[in-house]
Amino acid sequence: MKLRTRIAVTFLMLLAAILAVALTAVSSANHGNAAAELKRQLDVGESVFNRVLKTNLAQLTLAAEVVAADTGFRAAVADRDNVTLISVLENSGARIKAAMVVLTSLDGEVIAASGSHAAAGEPFPERRLFVRRLGPDGETLPNTTFMVEDGRIYQVVAVVVNSPLPVAWVVMGFELDRKAALELRDITGLGVTLSAGSAAGSRTIVSTAPSGQLPDSTLETRRIVLAETAGATIVATLSKSLAEAMTAFDRLTNFLYWIAASSLAVSAYAAFWLARNITRPLRAITSVVDRIRAGSYDVPIAEQRQDELGALAEGLRVMQAAVQSRDSSIRRLAYEDTLTGLMNRTAFNAQLDAALAQPDAAIAVAVINLHRFRRINEHLGYAVGDAVLKTIAARLTQNGHAVGKVARLAADQFAAFAAMRPSDSLETWGATLMVRLAEPVVVESQPIDISASAGLALAPADARTADELLRCADLAQERARRHKSGIARYEPNMMPAGRDQLSLLGELRHAVDHDELRLYFQPKIELSSHRVAGAEALLRWQHPTRGLLGPAAFIPFAEQAGFIRQITRWALEQSIACAAEWYRGGRALAVSVNVTVDDISDARFHLRVANALVRHQLPPGLLTLEVTESGFIEEPERALAMLDALAALGIKLAIDDFGTGYSSLSHLARMPVHELKIDQSFVRGLESDPEFATVVKSAIDMGHSLGLQVVAEGIETENSARQLAAMQCDIAQGYLYAKPMPRPEFERWTLHRDFVPVLATPTDLKASELSDTAAFAFL
Amino acid sequence: MRIAGAGGLALAWVALLYGAPAQAVGVTVTVKAKIAEGAGPKDAIVVLDPLDFKPPPSHDTAVVDQMDKQFVPQVTVVRTGTAVSFPNSDQIKHDVYSNYPPKRFELKLYAGVPAQPVVFDTPGLEALGCNVHDKMKAFVGIVDSPYFAKIRRLGVSGSVTINVPAGHYVVHVWHPDLGARVPGQTIEVKGEPVAVSFDLDLTGIPDPTAAWPFP
Repeated sequence: MKLRTRIAVTFLMLLAAILAVALTAVSSANHGNAAAELKRQLDVGESVFNRVLKTNLAQLTLAAEVVAADTGFRAAVADRDNVTLISVLENSGARIKAAMVVLTSLDGEVIAASGSHAAAGEPFPERRLFVRRLGPDGETLPNTTFMVEDGRIYQVVAVVVNSPLPVAWVVMGFELDRKAALELRDITGLGVTLSAGSAAGSRTIVSTAPSGQLPDSTLETRRIVLAETAGATIVATLSKSLAEAMTAFDRLTNFLYWIAASSLAVSAYAAFWLARNITRPLRAITSVVDRIRAGSYDVPIAEQRQDELGALAEGLRVMQAAVQSRDSSIRRLAYEDTLTGLMNRTAFNAQLDAALAQPDAAIAVAVINLHRFRRINEHLGYAVGDAVLKTIAARLTQNGHAVGKVARLAADQFAAFAAMRPSDSLETWGATLMVRLAEPVVVESQPIDISASAGLALAPADARTADELLRCADLAQERARRHKSGIARYEPNMMPAGRDQLSLLGELRHAVDHDELRLYFQPKIELSSHRVAGAEALLRWQHPTRGLLGPAAFIPFAEQAGFIRQITRWALEQSIACAAEWYRGGRALAVSVNVTVDDISDARFHLRVANALVRHQLPPGLLTLEVTESGFIEEPERALAMLDALAALGIKLAIDDFGTGYSSLSHLARMPVHELKIDQSFVRGLESDPEFATVVKSAIDMGHSLGLQVVAEGIETENSARQLAAMQCDIAQGYLYAKPMPRPEFERWTLHRDFVPVLATPTDLKASELSDTAAFAFL
Repeated sequence: MRIAGAGGLALAWVALLYGAPAQAVGVTVTVKAKIAEGAGPKDAIVVLDPLDFKPPPSHDTAVVDQMDKQFVPQVTVVRTGTAVSFPNSDQIKHDVYSNYPPKRFELKLYAGVPAQPVVFDTPGLEALGCNVHDKMKAFVGIVDSPYFAKIRRLGVSGSVTINVPAGHYVVHVWHPDLGARVPGQTIEVKGEPVAVSFDLDLTGIPDPTAAWPFP
């Protein structure tokens, strides 16, 4: 039941109950009053009735006594002068309108009578009249009674005739006829019924009630026994209807009922009105609550009241605002990057998916990584780092229509996607993004150079889902970062051989633990003498199902997955062990091992190398570590420090893939390297492009001028070998001489070769000299 | 005192008529009465009716006075043939009447002494009244026997002695409050005094005429 109805019904029922009690009480009191009033009327009526009869009796007695005392009458009685007697009786009866006047003997035998009431000589029917009773002076008292004669009722009195002794009775009577009854009714205000009863039953003689009137069940009666003998009873019944007595009270009661009904109706209207007024704002508030529940917080709560409901509405208003605020902040946290205000990965994926769902959508996706951002945080503080990120976010979103949607996926990773029209170029769009990052970011008046790499992917050509597209763009970004090309478009071969990267990582771990990795050795040839100058150790993976894999198939991934250090450690360990064995066998053969940026950023790397050398008793001069230029780009100081530490061990260092990076000459000059390896792309171009020859010549000259030994890789033809020799390149490496070989084959290959003598002084490294003994524990 | 005088006169008359007083024998009649509560004493009449002879008529006189609206005396017994005078000693008039068989008469309203007494020549009981004073009532018993007396103001008991010659008598008693006749008692008077007693019940409805012992 609704609150409104419940309030109204409760009050109405209460009121109705009160009214019912009141009306019942009044009605009951009225009924009681009416009954009491009726009883009082009957009491009074009975009293009046008796008084009237007594008056009648007195009148009759007086009249009879007057007759009885009349001298002439006494004489006539003595003379039995019946004619005279009758005339006297009639005369005296007429005086008081007595219906019956009879003279009897003392025994009650009729002597004479007026009218035809009795025949002379017969006994008078009512014998009780003739019982003599004496007064105090011995006089005979009159007798009186009521009698029924010929179907009529009489009030009769008998007075003795003293002459001077009692000699006769004068009987005189009034008839209680209908007229008398009506008079009695008028006097008493009550219905008068006279009835005679016998053993056989009762019959009504006279009644004031109209004939044919139905018996009234509410009739209150008062029974007055007028005369009672063994055979017959004469009864007067005074009556009044309770309903009649109730009439006056009924009017009052009806009026009260009318008032009750009216007040009930008015109260009903008032209760419903009040209840509706109470509940209407409640309903309004309820509907607001419903809308809030449904997630709509912007509906204003219009209730402006001063009462409790107003307070409730105000509370709701505050709650709505709080919920709305929390809801939006939760949404922000869920879908927004709190620092930059850009979308986060979740939101970006969702929006990208939505965009991809459009039919014929050509969607370009870019993943942009900032380089060296960790260094900004470390050296300049997180506040500056945050400011840089905010600035970049602002730049990317400026003139947003040219860029599309931008998100920050990770600490230093941003992403964008945009719908491509047929006329648009993916590369142009990518360039648009990168241009925005070209300018240095100025934080607190300090310009900070930002370098970044971007990967691009295009749907539906490259992928059709957000996840896949992002992965494609990420792979392209990796490529761009590795190749320092700034920006790269995704190509299908970037995807690691169709295998899940996680399982690839697991397989790599397995490979390291179960000796699936192999070391191949490629000889390094002194161009001037064609003697063997050393060997480069190259990694192969003897994959259980895919066969022998080259380093390009797993090294980039290992770098990306952070697994390269374990691999490098393995390669170093194996190479050093190998070289040590050869050295102990009388062959001082220098071995080159590739190390990555990640390896030299390990502050304990040099300790590990030193430890391995000591353990295997390999002279440090027989180990060369090859580092790519890119290793110096990100953190050149730190890299240089590590190179210095390594050089201090006495091992040799080489710059690998020289010419592909952007290493500055100043860095180059400061590096404690011994060898420069020109990238094989230059070597291969020697024959076809004269320009390359110039570059290679310049590189060789520069290396020499810095006092470095210069190595050329990827030599496949005699021609290029001759050219390099002419350019005075020191060392050559390539298929022209030998491909990378497993150790046994390499050892066989070296059997009949001459070696460039190496100053192979025994190791002067002592374990005790290693400053950090913890390095051993680590190994 | 007039009543006493009348009784004494009658006795004297009997003694004179029937010889020597030595022949007379006293008959003492004792009456015990059961009286109604509150009833006043009234005179009772005792009559010895001789069976052996018929007494001759009388020419006596008697007086029933009227004083203070009362007959005085209220009970009188006389021999048949007695002339009774009804003087009116009150200042007001009286109208004396009798509607009873022995002698129906009416002395119309009068004062003083009427010119003629009323002669009661038939035995019986005469009830007298006054037409203008209903409460005035008197009885005059008229008997043939010369032997009678009154027991004055009879209470619960009373007695009277009547001297009669020897012989057979029926003793009758009457009282105004008797409701019925009291049977007479037959006695034989010889030389000795005789005692007769009656028990009267005076508590019923009086019917003096029915109680009159003579036909």
